[in-house]
Amino acid sequence: MKGMVFVELFRMAETVMSEEDLDNIIDRIDLSTDGAYTSVGNYPCSELIKLVVAIGDQLNIPVTALQTKFGHWMFSRFVDGYPEFFEGKQNAFEMLEAIENEVHVEVLKLYPDAELPTFSTQRFSGGAGLKMTYSSDRPLNHFCLGLIEGCVEHFDRPAEIKMRDCSEDGRCRAEFMIEWAK
Amino acid sequence: MARPEYDHPITQLPDRVSRRRYEREKRARQEAEQLLEAKSRELYDANLALQKQAAGLEEAVAQRTAEFEAARNEAESANAAKSIFLATMSHEIRTPLNGVLGMATALADSDLTSEQEEILDLISDSGNLLLSVINDILDLSKVEAGMLEIENVPTSVCDFLDGMCAQFAPKVREKGLRFTVLYSGLLSAGGVWAEFDPNRLSQVLGNLLSNAIKFTTSGAVAFTAEAVHLENGNLQLNLIIRDTGIGVPEENSEKLFQPFTQADASITRKFGGTGLGLVIARDICRMMGGDITCLSAAGDGTEFTASIQMTPAKCPETTKGLQLAENEAVLKQRKWRVLIAEDNKTNQLVLKHMLKRYDLELVIVADGAKVVSEWRSNGADLILMDVNMPVMDGLSATRAIRADELEGKHQPVPIVAISANAMVHQVSGYLEGGMTGHVAKPIRKAELVRAMALALSETAIAPT
Repeated sequence: MKGMVFVELFRMAETVMSEEDLDNIIDRIDLSTDGAYTSVGNYPCSELIKLVVAIGDQLNIPVTALQTKFGHWMFSRFVDGYPEFFEGKQNAFEMLEAIENEVHVEVLKLYPDAELPTFSTQRFSGGAGLKMTYSSDRPLNHFCLGLIEGCVEHFDRPAEIKMRDCSEDGRCRAEFMIEWAK
Repeated sequence: MARPEYDHPITQLPDRVSRRRYEREKRARQEAEQLLEAKSRELYDANLALQKQAAGLEEAVAQRTAEFEAARNEAESANAAKSIFLATMSHEIRTPLNGVLGMATALADSDLTSEQEEILDLISDSGNLLLSVINDILDLSKVEAGMLEIENVPTSVCDFLDGMCAQFAPKVREKGLRFTVLYSGLLSAGGVWAEFDPNRLSQVLGNLLSNAIKFTTSGAVAFTAEAVHLENGNLQLNLIIRDTGIGVPEENSEKLFQPFTQADASITRKFGGTGLGLVIARDICRMMGGDITCLSAAGDGTEFTASIQMTPAKCPETTKGLQLAENEAVLKQRKWRVLIAEDNKTNQLVLKHMLKRYDLELVIVADGAKVVSEWRSNGADLILMDVNMPVMDGLSATRAIRADELEGKHQPVPIVAISANAMVHQVSGYLEGGMTGHVAKPIRKAELVRAMALALSETAIAPT
C-alpha cells in the first residue's frame, strides 16, 4: 500500500482528533515503522486496516463508515493534487471510466511496483447508468464507495449509488450501480 | 461542492509538537530521503543501461551496414566477373568461328556439286546463327558493363529503312505472310537525313522484324515508320511493327525485357532464341534517347514500337565508300603487293582464300617484327595488320613503319587493322596509332574488300 494513503489517513484523523489521541493510537498498535510513514514509501495494507479500526474505535464510528469518509477525503486530495486528470471530463461517469486506463497508467509510471485494484466499467440504461466493478486483494469496498461518492459530489450532479459486495475466496469484489438521480 | 465536515479541525493544534511526533516525522523524512536516493540511483543505472544500449545499437547498425556493403560489393564484383566471363568467352568462341565462317565463304567460291552447296549453306547458316548469338551475348555484357558504344553517322533514313525492308521482305513472303510498309510524317516526302547509328538501329529493327516473322504463322506483318520534329530540335523516329502472330499474354510482357528469359519456357522449345535480343534492342533505343514498348494480348498479335532520337543532318555531297563491284575493280587494277601480319594459322588461311580470286601478291608473316622487316626490304602497297601478335604487336609495328617513313620521307603505306577488338574507342585507338582503316573479325569478305579498295584507291590517287 502506498505511503501516501497512510499519510492522508493521519491528516484526516488529525482533523477530528487531537495529535495526542492519534499519537496514542499509533503507539498502541504494532506498526512496522512505528508509524513513521512517508508518502513515497510502501507499507503493508494490514497496517492501514489496523489503523482504521483503531481510529474508528476512538471516534466511535463503524469501520465501514470511516472507510467511506476516508474515500471522500482522498478524492478531495486527488482533486487538489492532480487537476490534469479532470481536464475534459464532463461528468462523474467519464471520470470513473478513466480511472483504469488513464489514472492507473500514470500511477504505474511513477510507481512501477504499485499493486493497483481493477475498476471495470460498463454503461447501462442507454448511458444513464454506470456499473463499476472493484476487484482487489484488499478489503476496501467502503473506501471505494467513499471515492465514488466524492467523485459524484465533485461534479455536482446527484446520483444514486448502490453497492453490492460480491467478495469470494479472499478476493474482495464489489459492484457499484450508479444512476443519475431522477 | 460539498466538503467533508472534517475539513475544519475540531481541536486546536498545539504550538509545539511532542517528542514522539517529532521523532516519527524525522524518521519518515529520513526514510523518504533514502527512498529518493534509491530512486535516483535506479534512474542513474537505467540511464547508463540506455546509453550502453544506444551505443550497442550504433555498433550493430554500423556492423550491419558494413555487412550490407560487403554483400553489395560481392554481388557487384560477381556481376562484373560474369560480364568479363561472357565477354571473354564470346571472344574466344568468335576466333575459331571466324575460321569456320571464313573457310565456308572460301569454299563457296570453289566448284561444288549442288549437294555440297546445300551442305555448305547449312554450315554457313548455322555458323551465322551462332555468330549472332555470340554477338548478342557480347553486346549484353557490354551493356551491363556500360560499354556499349553508339556511333552516330549521317545517314539517309529512308535509304536505311528501304535496305532493312528489302532484307526482310523475302523472309516474310517465304512464310506466306503479307508485308506492308508505310512511311508517314516527315518520311512520307523522303530525303530525310539524320545522324544515328545505323548498325545499332538495324540490330533493333532486325530483331523486331525477325520476331514478328518468327511468331506469325498466318496473316501479315505491318511496318510503319514515322519521323517527327521534337521541341529540342531533334527528330524522333518511331518504328512500329505489328503482326498477327501468337501474341504475348499480358502477365508475361515484362519478361520480354529480362535477359535470358522468354515469355514462357515453351517459346524457347518451339522457336529457339536466347531471349537476349529484345533486352539489347531496348537498351540500344534507350541509349539513343528512346525506348521500346509492347502492346499485345495472347493470340491477338503484337505491336512493338521502337523509338529513337536523331539529330537532323544534311545530305553529304558525295558518299564515301564504293560498291562491291567497284571495290573489286580496284583490287583487280594491278597485282598489288599486300603484306599480311597474322599469327593465327586459321586466320591466315581465311584471308588467303578470301583474296585468292584477285591477282594479288600476298606475303603472309606471323608477327609485327617480321612485317616491319619485310616492308623495309621489299616495300608494299598495303598492309593488313592483326593487332594482337607475339614478338611485336600490330600497333608497335605500325609506329615503327610510320617512324621510318617520316625519316626517309616516304609516302605512307596504308595499314588496315584486322582485329576482334572492334569497339569504337579501340578502333579510334588504331587510327590514332597510325593505321588507316579497320576490319572487324570475324572477317566478312565484302568489308575486307571495301576497306582494302578504299585504302588502295587513296594510294592510287596519290603519286607513288
